Amino acid sequence: MTAFLALLRRDLKVASRNALPLLMATLTQPILVVLVFGNILPRLHLVADEFRTVMVPGLMSITMLMAGVQGVLMPLTVDLSGSREVDERLLAPISVFAVALEKVVAGAIHAAVAGLVALPAMMFLMHRVTGVEVHPQLGVLLPLVALCGLLSAAFGLTIGSQVQPRFSGLLFAVILGPMMLFGCAYYPWAGLAVIGPLQYVFLLNPLVFMSESMRLAVTPDVPHMPLPLLVAGTVGFVALFTVLGARSFEKRTIL
Amino acid sequence: MSGILRVENLVKTYPGTRKSPAVEAVKDLSFEVASGEFFGLLGPNGAGKSTTLGCITTLVRPTSGRVVVDGLDVVRAPREAKRRIAVVPQTRNLDRDLAVREVLTFHGAYFGLPKAEREARADRLLAEMQLTDKANAKPLSLSGGLQQRLLVARALMHDPKVLLLDEPTIGLDPQARRMLWETLRRLHEQGLTLIMTTHYMEEADRLCQRVAIIDHGKILQLDTPAALKKALPGGRILDLWVRSPEPIAPRLESLPGVLRVEKVTTVGEDGFERLRLFVDPKDGLLDRVLQVVQGAAGDLQHVSLTQPSLEDVYIHLTGKELRE
Repeated sequence: MTAFLALLRRDLKVASRNALPLLMATLTQPILVVLVFGNILPRLHLVADEFRTVMVPGLMSITMLMAGVQGVLMPLTVDLSGSREVDERLLAPISVFAVALEKVVAGAIHAAVAGLVALPAMMFLMHRVTGVEVHPQLGVLLPLVALCGLLSAAFGLTIGSQVQPRFSGLLFAVILGPMMLFGCAYYPWAGLAVIGPLQYVFLLNPLVFMSESMRLAVTPDVPHMPLPLLVAGTVGFVALFTVLGARSFEKRTIL
Repeated sequence: MSGILRVENLVKTYPGTRKSPAVEAVKDLSFEVASGEFFGLLGPNGAGKSTTLGCITTLVRPTSGRVVVDGLDVVRAPREAKRRIAVVPQTRNLDRDLAVREVLTFHGAYFGLPKAEREARADRLLAEMQLTDKANAKPLSLSGGLQQRLLVARALMHDPKVLLLDEPTIGLDPQARRMLWETLRRLHEQGLTLIMTTHYMEEADRLCQRVAIIDHGKILQLDTPAALKKALPGGRILDLWVRSPEPIAPRLESLPGVLRVEKVTTVGEDGFERLRLFVDPKDGLLDRVLQVVQGAAGDLQHVSLTQPSLEDVYIHLTGKELRE
């Protein structure tokens, strides 16, 4: 446990030194989307008023997904690079699984901070626009943000330890891009009833559970999944990706 | 003296893929290192040295066999075994996001050293390795020699019982190499067990008390450098660079005082061949050798009579020079 906490302290220290570029990397996109879709287009009457409310939790979940994946992927690329910095961690008195788990926790903290910064930033940018019904419920928001952070980082570990760094561009285009579009970020999952049973195929996308969690926590008036289903889905995906990610991390590092 | 490290029938086969066949990197390797010993693993690239070190340090999973460090099986009790060992790896894997001093203090923290202790130890090691004025620099801004010293300092932070060094002087300039040798000697005198892989014969000869010469995953010979050299026939080496139209080696071998002739596979410029004669120097030996060369209408480019070195032992054992 001592080694685990020391590794986490090291990662947070390094991340806090790079806090500004890290936050810029994760926040630029949601802020610009809010500016255009939440401020300009509604004033031009080109999008429905409800869209502004619907996209706030969705953009939070996308921000967390990106931050969590990058928060694991970037250090992992350095770790597994030619100089094998990861070997120092593997030689610490700690199991390989714990080394992998520490990466998930560090990435989750990164994702949670990004999500919690994105929310007020978006609310600030839309504060002049009426009709936005954002009411954060802190009591459920904080634990759900933590769970969603873990999910993003565990997912980041799973893909990061399986994909060669030179394909990371492809990763964003082919995996994360579709995930975001089909992740119920811009529409509530309940609304998908219009497409019939295909609605349930969307549940294979972990981002759906994150978007719906944020919907429940910050825009409770918009239709969303019930809490037990959200928690079960999110926890299930966290467990799945942590095990898969730790396994492929071990395969990559221990010959 | 008790064995602090025991390697028993170690085998490591890297599984093949569709594109490449399986590689048997280590084939049934066994040796024991005594507490306080300076032990060398000598061999060419690809001999299995780094894989052996990997198995000892838990970074490579053995296919079969056992590695026991201080009574602990490294596969069954990796966490406890890892507390007892430290590694100076071949690739300098310093944490590039931390400052030099932080590299040491965080390493101490990973091993559970209390704050005051790790700070004090970091400062002491920085001073010992003459890195104090670089304490706040980034590791990658240091020269290769300084980085290597930092790696040694990092390895010593958690007070290991066994220090493993994988080709520690590769790429260092002569001054840095000598300084590292001095450091390693000092650590050895302080009672630390050191295990070093190298393909520099001179280095192994100067530093190691016992040397295992390995190639193709097997130990060819294991003894003190002096005993290894003593085991060579003759006691002196006559090194010839020779070019002749007729085969000359059998004629040289039949000369009195010449115990054995080895062809070194390297061929010099202009078709010169290198022959190593294990000789018992007697009066007139050089004359007789020259007569044979002239009798075969050969040219002689270079002659030297030397004491055998570990490199000669290696060439004697494998019939080839070290592969670079």
